[in-house]
Amino acid sequence: MLALGTVLADVRRGMIPAHVYADPEVFALERDRLFARSWVFLGHESEIPDPGDYVVRRVLADSFIVARDEAGVVRVMFNMCLHRGMQVCRAEMGNASHFRCPYHAWTYRNDGRLVGLPFHAEAYGGEDGFMRAGQSLLPAPSMATYNGLIFISLDPDAPPLRDYLGDFAFYLDLYTRQSPAGIELRGPQRWRIKANWKIGAENFAGDSYHTPHTHASVVDIGLFREPKASKRKEGALYVAGPGAGTTYKLPPGGDFAEQLRYVGYPDDMIPAMTASWSARQRALVSDSGFMVSAATLFPNLSFVHNWPQIDAAGTVVPFISLRQWQPVSECETEVLSWFVVDAAAPKEFKRNSYKAYVMCFGSSGMFEQDDVENWVSITDMAAGSMARRLNLNSRMGLTSTGQPIKPPMDAASFAGPGVAYQGFGEFNQRHWLRQWSDCLEREPAVRGPAADMGAAVAPGAAR
Amino acid sequence: MTPARAIPYGDPAHLAAHQFLVEEAALLDAADYEGWLGLLTEDIRYVMPVRVATARGAGFDTLSDMGHFDEDMYSLRKRVQRLATDHAWTEDPPSRTRHFITNVRTFRGGGGEWLVESALLMFRSRGDTRPPELVSAGRSDLLRETEDGLRLARREITVDEPVLRTQNLAVFL
Repeated sequence: MLALGTVLADVRRGMIPAHVYADPEVFALERDRLFARSWVFLGHESEIPDPGDYVVRRVLADSFIVARDEAGVVRVMFNMCLHRGMQVCRAEMGNASHFRCPYHAWTYRNDGRLVGLPFHAEAYGGEDGFMRAGQSLLPAPSMATYNGLIFISLDPDAPPLRDYLGDFAFYLDLYTRQSPAGIELRGPQRWRIKANWKIGAENFAGDSYHTPHTHASVVDIGLFREPKASKRKEGALYVAGPGAGTTYKLPPGGDFAEQLRYVGYPDDMIPAMTASWSARQRALVSDSGFMVSAATLFPNLSFVHNWPQIDAAGTVVPFISLRQWQPVSECETEVLSWFVVDAAAPKEFKRNSYKAYVMCFGSSGMFEQDDVENWVSITDMAAGSMARRLNLNSRMGLTSTGQPIKPPMDAASFAGPGVAYQGFGEFNQRHWLRQWSDCLEREPAVRGPAADMGAAVAPGAAR
Repeated sequence: MTPARAIPYGDPAHLAAHQFLVEEAALLDAADYEGWLGLLTEDIRYVMPVRVATARGAGFDTLSDMGHFDEDMYSLRKRVQRLATDHAWTEDPPSRTRHFITNVRTFRGGGGEWLVESALLMFRSRGDTRPPELVSAGRSDLLRETEDGLRLARREITVDEPVLRTQNLAVFL
């Protein structure tokens, strides 16, 4: 029996009961209290550019059709036929004007409206027996977009997405709005790993401490211009709104354009980045000298930005990846990893940036290979009895009395919003875990009674 | 475009191509990746598009612009160099793999090149107790005759699963 109060009290002290990374009772709470209410990423508008384009994505066990209807409006619909509950669309992507259920041929337009119901008059006696008019696949209870990123919440009373994103939107823009044209997503690569979903989310939120050792091999082989993975300790960690992330320290003295060039952005892209970002966003790069690296938006959407050498001549090219840690069970996660690039970037940059991405992250990525090995191993160890006797220390950066070992950065040294610390620390993971703890204490979303499909009035007894 | 008819199994060119694939598989199973790089041409293209579940009439079932691998000699060398470091944790202890190569067909390509189609089943065992992982794929190769014998100039791997059920691709297919 899970002692939730004790678990959460421990987590809030920065002591993580190890079993939370492989505990079916914890997973059930995450499903009912966290994923049933939080804003969760489903996809990006660039994945469905034309009317009729769709992708099918999940929030845990719930499958949704994310479609652009004939009027160009993006819709998110629960992928379950109103009649007998078939999965209406069983492809993962494509283009369709209608979705027809294979079971009894109930047919829905790509905006979700029910338009085909065979033998309506003969079988139901028309509208009196089943009110077809106005019926549609169940829409996601809440849906909103930011920079083309499509989020849903299973909670109809979710706060507005923009309010939820808060100060993290500042950093989100750095990954997803490098020009007014916005981004395009490619992929995703999908693969399943025997790891708990929280571990990747925490890692991307703030684990700069793992880089020098876990990723020693990519430094050994000279994949980066910078010779030492220890450069990580000069980076700043920030928490802002529901997100947190890591940065790299850039060489001193460069102005905004010079710093972007150092990271490998071609001159063609710099004017748009200058125009697209606010003075404060530019100041983070130029005055403060920090470039965003990995980040996580609670609960399970992560970002990474890095700049390896993509050829023997030492050409440095940056890439961005967006990834989702989609929980399958307490010990299995589906990773969806997209390549992200500025839609207005030159063709050659897109090609090179894609190459940089495939080398570093994703199913074959040289960083990701070793990350996942660690996460699978943690999950494996967390499943036993001994793990219940161990609280993992997640207090890095704090004294025994809970004070930061060094003060947070001031606005002069870190221009971004939120709270930032330079060097190593687990501030960001604790920030993520505090949100997690708060979610597990919430009541499940109020669902109200289930909707009676096709009934004009509450029907009487059936026989 | 692959020609319609494979050359007969008794043709020496087919036997040479088949033997090449089997010898290559032996190097991969022995984790002799330096030896494996020696079988590739300098202009190697090694790609593995993401497979997707699409409707029958969709006209595509791979992503044209996203792969699990999309490699040239530089990136393959880096991958091999990485596995040879003391810090490639995911392959230490190393996977035990068995590349089963079958359904080999050889097509005349012209200009000293041969198109070779094969089926691959890779069994991968990691650690001592973890369940094994399988990757099933078709491969479409371009083999080129060189002074040193046949060399692989292009490989397109058509994986049979949209969602991979192997932890990573720290191995070659």
